[in-house]
Amino acid sequence: MFGRSNNDQIIRMKENAHIQLNKLTKSYQEGTKSRSVLDDLELSVKEGEMIVLLGRSGSGKSTLLNLVSGIDKPDSGQVVIGGTNLAGMDENSRTLFRRKNIGFIFQSFNLISTLTALENVLLPLKLKGDSDASAEKKAQQFLDEVGLGDRGDSYPDRLSGGEQQRVAIARALAHEPMLILADEPTGNLDYETGKTILDILNKSVRENGRTIILATHDRDICEIADRVVELRGGKLEQVEPAEFAK
Amino acid sequence: MASNSSNLLWLSSLRFLKKHPWHFALSILGVALGVAVVVSIDLSNSSAEKAFQLSTEAVTGKATHQIRGAGENLDESVYRDLRVESGFRNSAPVVEGYARVDGLNRTFQVLGVDPIAEEPFRDYASQRAGIELSEFINGENSGLVAASVAEEIQAEIGDTLQISVGGRGFQIRLIGIIEASDDRSQQALESILLVDVSTAQRLFDMQGELTRIDLILPENSESVQAEIKPLLPEGAEIIRSDSRTETVEQMTRAFEFNLQALSMLALLVGMFLIYNTMTFSVVQRRPLIGRLRALGVTKNEILFTVLKEALLIGALGTVIGIVAGIILAQGLVKLVTQSINDLYFVLSVQELSIGVFPLLKGIVLGIGATLIAAFWPAREASQAEVTTVLKRSSNESKITSRILPLAGYGILGGLAGVGILLIPNGGIAAGYSSLLFMIVGFALITPLFIVGMAKLFRPLLGAINGLIGKMSVRGVVTELSRTSVAIAALAVAIAATVGVGVMVDSFRTTVVSWLEAQLQADVYIQPPSSVTRQADATLELNLVQILKETEGVAEASTVRSVDVRTNYGTDNLVAIDQGAAAKDAFQLKESGPNFWQRYTQEDLVMVSEVYAYRNDVGLGDTLFIDTDAGNQPFVIQAINFDYASDIGTVTISRKIYNQFFDDDAVSGLALYAEEGVEVEALVEQLRERVSGMQEVFIRSNRGLREASIEIFDRTFTVTIVLRMLAILVAFMGVLSALMALQLERARELAVLRANGMTPGQLWNYVISQTGVMGVMAGILSVPLGILMAYILVYVINLRSFGWTLQFMITPEVLIQAVALAIIAALLAGIYPSKKMSEANPADALRNE
Repeated sequence: MFGRSNNDQIIRMKENAHIQLNKLTKSYQEGTKSRSVLDDLELSVKEGEMIVLLGRSGSGKSTLLNLVSGIDKPDSGQVVIGGTNLAGMDENSRTLFRRKNIGFIFQSFNLISTLTALENVLLPLKLKGDSDASAEKKAQQFLDEVGLGDRGDSYPDRLSGGEQQRVAIARALAHEPMLILADEPTGNLDYETGKTILDILNKSVRENGRTIILATHDRDICEIADRVVELRGGKLEQVEPAEFAK
Repeated sequence: MASNSSNLLWLSSLRFLKKHPWHFALSILGVALGVAVVVSIDLSNSSAEKAFQLSTEAVTGKATHQIRGAGENLDESVYRDLRVESGFRNSAPVVEGYARVDGLNRTFQVLGVDPIAEEPFRDYASQRAGIELSEFINGENSGLVAASVAEEIQAEIGDTLQISVGGRGFQIRLIGIIEASDDRSQQALESILLVDVSTAQRLFDMQGELTRIDLILPENSESVQAEIKPLLPEGAEIIRSDSRTETVEQMTRAFEFNLQALSMLALLVGMFLIYNTMTFSVVQRRPLIGRLRALGVTKNEILFTVLKEALLIGALGTVIGIVAGIILAQGLVKLVTQSINDLYFVLSVQELSIGVFPLLKGIVLGIGATLIAAFWPAREASQAEVTTVLKRSSNESKITSRILPLAGYGILGGLAGVGILLIPNGGIAAGYSSLLFMIVGFALITPLFIVGMAKLFRPLLGAINGLIGKMSVRGVVTELSRTSVAIAALAVAIAATVGVGVMVDSFRTTVVSWLEAQLQADVYIQPPSSVTRQADATLELNLVQILKETEGVAEASTVRSVDVRTNYGTDNLVAIDQGAAAKDAFQLKESGPNFWQRYTQEDLVMVSEVYAYRNDVGLGDTLFIDTDAGNQPFVIQAINFDYASDIGTVTISRKIYNQFFDDDAVSGLALYAEEGVEVEALVEQLRERVSGMQEVFIRSNRGLREASIEIFDRTFTVTIVLRMLAILVAFMGVLSALMALQLERARELAVLRANGMTPGQLWNYVISQTGVMGVMAGILSVPLGILMAYILVYVINLRSFGWTLQFMITPEVLIQAVALAIIAALLAGIYPSKKMSEANPADALRNE
């Protein structure tokens, strides 16, 4: 947790923050009971920073990513991305904001099964309104970057898990979003493939100067992070590098 | 949305459809079947209407008015006075009737004219058309037919045509060919036999009489009419030429409307299938939609993409449906024409007329119905929260929690339907709207029924089929969002077949029991009639006498049926001379005091319930009939059940009829056998006695009953064909819904195979589950079908025709419905079982 002793540092971070989560609260109704998932959660992320969000299954990582992406709305608090507060926007505006500014990488890849690898990467570019020629060029370039330049015509069911996730990375980066959200990107992959994927993700994000929040329960992934935070009891706690290995 | 991104979404949609070809094809088939039924009925109706219009135009020509007599005919002296004495030249005499030409299986309209007077009226019948007067009016029976008819019967000028009029044979010398000015007239003239007035009078035994006098009057012709009126005999009237057309069109309106409504029912069933298909397609794609939404595709973009897909399905289904409808109409038009001929008037439809309106209606209905049916699933797809669409289980829990509210809405829908029924004078349209509300209401309660039935079935299937049996029932409930829509759609489709089946059975049972009461005599004699249910032909009086005097005949009674003008239009008046037996033969719905004692003494009439309903009359009301003694009042003192005519009849005692009409003709004769005389032997004896005379039908009571039922069945053939089509739509629906459901579960089935389920067990599992769904749909279709039948019988039939029917549910119809559902369901399981048991589970287990 960001302790009281760090108050000055927090204020300074807020001022420079690219992404700012203020007093985020989210709870779910389970029958007659209400279960709190996020409780007055605060987070500041600088532009180009790579944040790893640690947490056990059910700790609320996906909920947090859904709030940051504007897929879901908080009960209270602010989600400010590049100066825009998503919490104050309606569903349609959040969707339009998401298509322009956020890239998603899921644990189960979530490629569009009816589109080829190249078309999957093209989709966010076209949703953003890029012209055909420039979109195709960019999509091909990102597929090349993840090492799948020759698999553009393949449908997802013809690709291995690792290949599918590489397409998903290209798709998340292609439209040059302000923020990339990755939810357990290696969760469905074996160790070696997961490691390769992380390398590609790390390299691509760094080279393109993107900001990323990567949610995982795997502490090994923390090595690539600029900063690691852990979600416990609905709040975020900063994890020091020395603790990564624990 | 940027157009290029919409292209990509559309591409994704198209590929989804391509990936599920069965599903795609069956959805198109659902639309196509619905459209085909509607288009074919519309084309049949409009072809019949057009044929009627053309023949009316051909026969009426340029006449603006007609003079008609009070009874059926007009004395020809009226024409003489009008033309010669008063110098009214724009007039032409007409004698009309029907005849059959040997070698052609259709009835011709015989038009008896005077070519000299014809020129202003009908080009083809005038001297100008090249009719040789000397040959035409030489005192022999001579006539003309259209060139196409001459070709059809391979007749040449100078040949003799054999024709039959009311059972009597005549020879007509062909003295020329009618030349039509264009194709349209050609078509109209194909059923006309043109003869001289005097020839027609001989054919129809109308010496000295005319059917009508045609007139061409100027606009605002009141003064001319006032000049003509004093020349006319008592009861004769000048009417507009088109008013008779309107009357005839009105007769068939309810009949045609009901056919259209039944075809709409087929489309409604089709809509449920489309709804089912689209819902299924959306539910199946929930994860895909979730991914797209997560990537920033908006709700509207999802909505429009799904609707665009529906538009594609609707457009393809409509095109196929219209083509199929045109093909189907070629067959249906014959059935519709046959029914019109049996019920109303002679009509010959030589070719299908493909009008723009029925096709446009098909397009609007096909695409419109698809879009309406697809709108809710599309909306649901677009409205779903991204967080929930990414996992299906949330959807299942959502529908589970909505079972009770849905049932509540369903009850409200049903109550709204009942409310619409209670609207006074609601009409047929209100009846069908109410039916629609009840169907939708029932569909909304279906999930609750399924959960309830599953509770009963689970232990039962468990006992019969062990764990697999239990699993198959459980699967229906766990996937309720898909299964409930499929089962509801199937139940509605099958219920439509039950509804129409029960309606036809009810009608038949009522008619059979009515015929048993109505047919009291032992032998019935009728001349062959061009319209089966109308006795427009008469029996020769000497023949009647011979038959009456035959040995073994104890008693006889006659029937005379004529068309008369009343204050409610042109009506069928039936004069009966039955004595005490009439009391047993006529089942009265209501009557005034001592009706049977008074009906031969006073100016009373009995009207059929259909007549009373159509004209909104009751006991004590007065009917004004144009008689030969002028316009006379008759008090309605009884209302009887009568299923022979859907236009209604007015019945009068022959004794009273004779006082007002100068007419001794007989349309039918009923004979009672003496005690101990074998009826069949008597029939043979009667036939021998009149052989060589007028050709008549001499039938025993049983023979006539069978013939009547045969006619009844024939007139219901169209309805039965529509029911068969509804069964086909339902069958395809069961097949498509269940097959798609199972094919979509490939992954789950692969997991079961991976866990050790043998191909045989997989067959058992899939077939058990489709079977359970078929049984559920079959069971649910029974109460809904009975409800539909109830509305069809007691509301729609009553509001269309005014008949009271006995509600008759035969077990065969219900067993057929349940069997249909189960057989189709079992068949639907075969392909997925085969596919999944042969497939490598590894393929299905791969991630997409």
